[in-house]
Amino acid sequence: MDDYLVSVVSNIGIISFVALSAYLLLLTGEISFGQQAFFAIGAYAAGIATAMWGWPLPLAIAWGAAAGAACAVTLGIPTLRLRGLQFAIATLAFAEMVRILFELWRYQIDIDGEPVGPNGTDGFRNIRYVFDHNIEAFDFMMLIYAVLAVTLGSFMLLERSRLGVIFRMIGEDATLASLQGIAVARYKVFAAGIAGALAAVGGGLYAHLTTYVEPRTFDVMLGVHSLAYGLIGGLGTALGPLLGVVIDVGLLESVRLFAGYRMIIFGGLVALLLIVRPRGLLDERLVHGIGRLFRNAKSGTTRTGRGPP
Amino acid sequence: MIDFIQNTIDGVMIGASYGLLALGFTVIFGVMRRLNLSYGPTIMIGAYFGTVLYLHFGAGLLAVAAAVVVGAVISGIYVERLCFAPMKAGAGIASMVSSFAIWMQLEQAAVLVLPRHTYPFPPLVTGPALEIGPLLVRPDHLIMLTGALLLAAVVQLALYRTRFGLGLRAVIANPIAANLVGVDVGRLVVLAFAAASAIGGVAGFLVLAVDQQVTPMFGMWATLKGLIAMMIGGLGSIPGALLGGLLLGVVEVHSHWLFGPQVRDLFAYFVLFAFLVARPGGLLGRTIDVELSHRA
Repeated sequence: MDDYLVSVVSNIGIISFVALSAYLLLLTGEISFGQQAFFAIGAYAAGIATAMWGWPLPLAIAWGAAAGAACAVTLGIPTLRLRGLQFAIATLAFAEMVRILFELWRYQIDIDGEPVGPNGTDGFRNIRYVFDHNIEAFDFMMLIYAVLAVTLGSFMLLERSRLGVIFRMIGEDATLASLQGIAVARYKVFAAGIAGALAAVGGGLYAHLTTYVEPRTFDVMLGVHSLAYGLIGGLGTALGPLLGVVIDVGLLESVRLFAGYRMIIFGGLVALLLIVRPRGLLDERLVHGIGRLFRNAKSGTTRTGRGPP
Repeated sequence: MIDFIQNTIDGVMIGASYGLLALGFTVIFGVMRRLNLSYGPTIMIGAYFGTVLYLHFGAGLLAVAAAVVVGAVISGIYVERLCFAPMKAGAGIASMVSSFAIWMQLEQAAVLVLPRHTYPFPPLVTGPALEIGPLLVRPDHLIMLTGALLLAAVVQLALYRTRFGLGLRAVIANPIAANLVGVDVGRLVVLAFAAASAIGGVAGFLVLAVDQQVTPMFGMWATLKGLIAMMIGGLGSIPGALLGGLLLGVVEVHSHWLFGPQVRDLFAYFVLFAFLVARPGGLLGRTIDVELSHRA
């Protein structure tokens, strides 16, 4: 694979984490405009751990994920009782506050006579772990996809588990779920925590892929995009947000054919797509239908499947 | 002390423009219960209409103002037809994401027409600031404030004193019942969208005439400021939208003066966040339930 392709494929993998993060919250019926905040927190935390504290990469990513989860839970407790739009705007406000705080934050130490660390609006440069350890771009891409595969596998298990059913149930009708004895608030905070960790893992990988991060990367645009990916690709399966990322970053960012007209074509197509498929390409109905097809082929009988219609 | 008063006055003036933006947002949100992220970008398209007339045809101030409003209304109706009208009940998220996609589209269209980063915009009035004792008041700020108050009054009157307003309030209260008693809901929604875009257009024109420049970033700016002011003021309240805008303006000017531009934005978002957590209904809002979940 040539370098350009590797970098595009790596980017797709990394953005997928933020998209999955927003998707998980969508499952529980919450719209977040703020998952980019946890992406940023993960990027900074993991970057600081390797570049300034000399930690190994896996530990740094895990620490970033923990930081992301902790912040997401802290944010979730006061905000998750808010309704739809109010929650969405509260997460937007939080994410913008995080971005500005990173713009104001300076924490540098001298390493080999050079200052290293977050430096306000100039960002955080020289996160050289990948370079210092002679990790090839291709190998790092494989690392991204290994983590992504584990994440996707967990999502597949989640969809088949009791927890997944509870998440979707809360997303469908939170009142009904609470009447069934489900502790809605607790599950929502739990989902927010996992979503925060997911975005933070993406951020940690991102910081090490690009070797520098700057606060303005983590603006509202990233948040709204990650939300849109789930809607475009479909809310029926965790592959939906991935498909959304592939369509946007992969097809359009990379194929420079459309140059100046990219968003005119893409924006229009997305709007038309959402008229026909308001829950995305791989929506619940389609995914369920495919699932039933497989089950029928295996058992040779026709029976109605379970799960939401 | 003088500085404090001066800053508060400036904040009220700037806040008036935020209030205007929030006003249009509130009308759309009240009617649709859906978030139109393209609200700012449609105003930006109007602004680009005006700028093209100004740059290439030497249009006067009134012609530019008319072009901004007409452009905002046309693109507003485009957004309504594409992102809101065809969506079934319960597809609130799809509408929102769709309006985001169209935002990207409008922004790129604007850049294709006028590719430079900034363009000049005709000034509202030229002349020195008015001196009132030790205080300074810019005349264009004064026009902006007057415009905001007048428009808010007009919207409030239109909602509560006209047949159109009665129909709109019926749709806001219950679209199905409104339909049953003979209100043409679809037509009314388009009209409300057009009216909201026109309000946004006026707001956009006033802001840009005060700034005397226009950039493609204006769309995002207008959406964010309108949204923040609307949420602070309270969803679905006309006086609330205006008050929310004024409060945002005052907070911004004071924190900018004290701590600089970054902390200004930090404060603005903090006030928004604190309001949402402590008082989700905002200053004056009733809690309107938002249609976001896919089950209507």
